Amino acid sequence: MEAIIYGGGRLATTLAQELTEGGYTVTVIDSDADYLESVSAPPAIQTIRVIAPTMQDVLAEAQLATTELLAALSNDDQSNALVAQMGLHVFKVPAVICRLDNPDLRELYSGLGLKTVGLSEMDLFSRIRQHVAGETDD
Amino acid sequence: MYVVIVGCGGVGYHLTKALLAAGHEVTVVERNPAKCELLFEEMGSVVSNGDGTAVADLRKAGTARAQVFIGAAGRDETTLVACQIAKHVFQVGHTLAVVKDTKNEPLFSVLGVDVVVNATRLVVTALEEGVPGQPLVHLRNAGGPNQTIVSVPVPEDAAIAGRRVGEIELPPHSFVSLVIKREQALLPAHDVVVESHDELVAVTTVEEEQALYEVVTGV
Repeated sequence: MEAIIYGGGRLATTLAQELTEGGYTVTVIDSDADYLESVSAPPAIQTIRVIAPTMQDVLAEAQLATTELLAALSNDDQSNALVAQMGLHVFKVPAVICRLDNPDLRELYSGLGLKTVGLSEMDLFSRIRQHVAGETDD
Repeated sequence: MYVVIVGCGGVGYHLTKALLAAGHEVTVVERNPAKCELLFEEMGSVVSNGDGTAVADLRKAGTARAQVFIGAAGRDETTLVACQIAKHVFQVGHTLAVVKDTKNEPLFSVLGVDVVVNATRLVVTALEEGVPGQPLVHLRNAGGPNQTIVSVPVPEDAAIAGRRVGEIELPPHSFVSLVIKREQALLPAHDVVVESHDELVAVTTVEEEQALYEVVTGV
């Protein structure tokens, strides 16, 4: 089973390790060479460094067509939206998860069939929104 | 017509001026405040400072009443998100994207952006048309993610000259759709004879276009 994580950060490191333990072959794509070196300490995790903005080439190199899981987790909503939709609609990856920090974008893309996650701050934001809208949680 | 444009770079700037000159109402959304000030001095209130991927900023620019929305940002990612907001949040009837990476084109089409213009492809096509010795011309994408329509002139000494369309062995996913002769264009019936200086318009795939080119131009 193969999994691709686009974009790094602590979230990606943790996920990469968990997926590896769960039997996945994990590839992490990021632009930061130092970060990639730190994440690939366990030998099972492969890394690809993005240099030029040719997303399709990078995703093809990561063999997105044969992957089961794609998680777009970078801190750039727009890149995540492009990568995730590329995975879902062009490469037909069965499971795609897209991080979107902007709640408006999360709403839009959830409506378009994308599984989206936000930072915990964003969950807080949506709770405040619900509160303002007069809805109660429990 | 009311047109909202995202991105006032090289493309957006000239597009804004051209559309204004043609009598259209235009708002161009640009993120860089310094650039907006310069543009305001030149063009007045058509410039709206904001993020083209923020719903609130697009609302402020009047996207809700736009007939046409054009994404022309510096990055394809931004253009994509802007066009999707215009289409799905504001229900703009016509969305148009100016895409930089040729390989992003299929995604934009699949996601329902109405018109996808690829600046890189336009330059490549212009080069192919203008430079002799590279006569395969891309006419347009054929709809599928990989299909493309090309035009290839049959050279003077081509091996296929004098043969019928039905006898020409093309790659499996390629077919001739039109034979353009000096006097007239013909549908490629099996018995149409291809001659030197004819032009073949064919549907092919990215993978097969080189093989197709070799069949048509081989001696």
